[in-house]
Amino acid sequence: MKKILAFILVLCMVPFMAACGGGGGEQPASDGGGEGEEVTLKLWCIATESDANRPAYLQAIEDYEAAHPGVKIEMEAFENESYKTKIKAAMTGGSSEDLPDIFFTWGGAFLGDFVEAGKVACLDDIYANNYTEDQIPSVMLNNTTYGGKHYGVPTTFNIVAMFANMDLLAQAGWDKVPETYEDLIKCCDDLVAAGIIPFGCAGSETWCVTEYLEPIILKSIGYEDLGKIFAGEATWNDPDIAKAVDTMQEMIDKGYFDPSGVALGNDEVKANFLAGKTAFYQNGSWNTGEVAAADFKSAVAMFPLMNAERSTVNCAIGGPSDHLAVYADGANVELASEVAVALGKEICHYNYLNAVGLPAWTPDYDTSSLEPLMVDIGNIVNQCEGLVLFGDTAMSADPAQIYLDYVAKVYGKEIDGQGFIDGLTKDLQ
Amino acid sequence: MNKLYNNKWYVIIFLLPALILFCGVLIAPIGASAYFSFFDWNGFTDKIFIGFSNYKELFTSDSIGFMKALGNSLLLAALSVFLQLPLALGLALVLGKKIKGERIFLSVYFMPVLISTVVIGQLWLKIYNPDYGVLNVALRAVGLDNLTRIWLGDKATALGAVFVPILWQYVGYHMLLLYAGVKSVPTELREAAMLDGATDGQVNRYIVLPYIKPIIKISVIFAVTGSLKSFDLIYVLTNGGPLHTTEVPSTLMISMLFLRNRYGMGSTIAVLLILLCFGFALLINLVFKEED
Repeated sequence: MKKILAFILVLCMVPFMAACGGGGGEQPASDGGGEGEEVTLKLWCIATESDANRPAYLQAIEDYEAAHPGVKIEMEAFENESYKTKIKAAMTGGSSEDLPDIFFTWGGAFLGDFVEAGKVACLDDIYANNYTEDQIPSVMLNNTTYGGKHYGVPTTFNIVAMFANMDLLAQAGWDKVPETYEDLIKCCDDLVAAGIIPFGCAGSETWCVTEYLEPIILKSIGYEDLGKIFAGEATWNDPDIAKAVDTMQEMIDKGYFDPSGVALGNDEVKANFLAGKTAFYQNGSWNTGEVAAADFKSAVAMFPLMNAERSTVNCAIGGPSDHLAVYADGANVELASEVAVALGKEICHYNYLNAVGLPAWTPDYDTSSLEPLMVDIGNIVNQCEGLVLFGDTAMSADPAQIYLDYVAKVYGKEIDGQGFIDGLTKDLQ
Repeated sequence: MNKLYNNKWYVIIFLLPALILFCGVLIAPIGASAYFSFFDWNGFTDKIFIGFSNYKELFTSDSIGFMKALGNSLLLAALSVFLQLPLALGLALVLGKKIKGERIFLSVYFMPVLISTVVIGQLWLKIYNPDYGVLNVALRAVGLDNLTRIWLGDKATALGAVFVPILWQYVGYHMLLLYAGVKSVPTELREAAMLDGATDGQVNRYIVLPYIKPIIKISVIFAVTGSLKSFDLIYVLTNGGPLHTTEVPSTLMISMLFLRNRYGMGSTIAVLLILLCFGFALLINLVFKEED
């Protein structure tokens, strides 16, 4: 009887054992393939409900699916910071079933690591066969070009811009955005005297601090030198960089920055600006639509020139940094590549019309109803002699993080300008 | 049934699924982490064998700041053992006396354990908000404006501000464990002591506490290893900032793995965390055994 009981127990275990051992047999047929079958492509991006890019993604997908009934695009959106973890973890250990066919990526070193590992499909054929230089200028593909091959599709083009609340400036006696550094300081003094906080900066997200520090450094040493430093081709040991850092710290000391900002995230700091709590908000031009919709008269400008001997007023931090790319080992790489490029172009189109970013693709649609603030940013970019990609995007992950740590130390007043250049020189070069 | 136990094949077959699961889910990843810790690897490209260099760098590099992160975790562990557990024990002893509304109190104290950590993080973010947070608003309301702070942004207060919700959240957890122990003390023991004239304090000290010592040991192990592994609330509240003030080994590990693409170094931190947790668990066992 006990033996029978034991056998029954062993038999009961069989299904559990089978369940544990599953996966070794035949795989189900992939989504793609057969003629007339609907192909489903998975897209990962950061266009969450609160992200300004979301309407452009949804509209572009809807348009594509309507024009291509056999293709379905499943979009999954993740919060910006957690996405960096998600995509890297998936690329490191995930199987092709776990990974999306198309994924959002930043250009520069971020995508470069994946390309180096052979995880990203080359899009040269798609560009060569379906698109012309007039449609997508090759300069717009520079940030996702590695070894002369193109791996990314730009979905927008953004620069760091200084947005201003003209109603608050008027209260301090200013009817236009200051154009020189001396005027900016005077304007800030007037704002502080009027009980208005000039700037808000999110200390808990260090990339927001770089949106202030990088333009100041850029306007101190010029786009060529800064570009070389970010590329690791020149040293950080530059007295003018130390001076630029000290300038930002002087601005903090003078009370130009909202002290609460050190503990806040970007959403809260932006909300403060949109609610009329701070006079300026220096951040990416992807915020243009939200600023334009705010309940005050707004204007946009660039951080003024600091050192005319080395820099020019006509340069900016930015470029096409947001892209789509295609996972190289996916089930439908060829189709995914075609879809990625077509989608990227349309996302760019809708982002421009929604005032979320400038067009990396040449507009072939009506732009007469563009948001005036977006037009102003376009004019600023048109006058630019040079652009430098955001530092944390231009550098690869480890140096970028070390750089961000030093930027955080600057904002936290833990080091001064000399400490900044000494530390980066020691740790990065 | 004994005959069944004596047949080693049956024993092996019955143990096999659990063994496979245990090895696959626990042992294999630990082994993999230990293996990767000997490499300079960004997670994507070729690995370069560097021996114990990651371990050496971890303990010597200022830019990584592992010792500071470890110090923060040990401080949290000490606070958990000497602040959180006594509080939980006090609550368990009081509730174990069949007071009125015992079940309601139990539920209320246990509630933070049931709520998602992310929700708790958001709740405390709002409490600490320098502008509209209830803490600063309350201080201003009673005229203590000079005590208002940017709690999570100020290096002087951030670590304490992060520890408070962590300690608060798990008081209920330890209370429930200890409460179950207090309730398991035989009534006749208590009554006999009371008849002999023992006070409540004496009953607790000489009967209840020795009786629930194994549960106290478990609570101490959970509190210490939980502190060493603490991650979620810190990640939500400060993500290790400002300026790494609230960094703990787990947040540092995530930063190494996914922000700095240093999979070798991230694995090294993972291995050290595992060793520390096992080490402390063994040490606590030893201390309690010696006391016995």
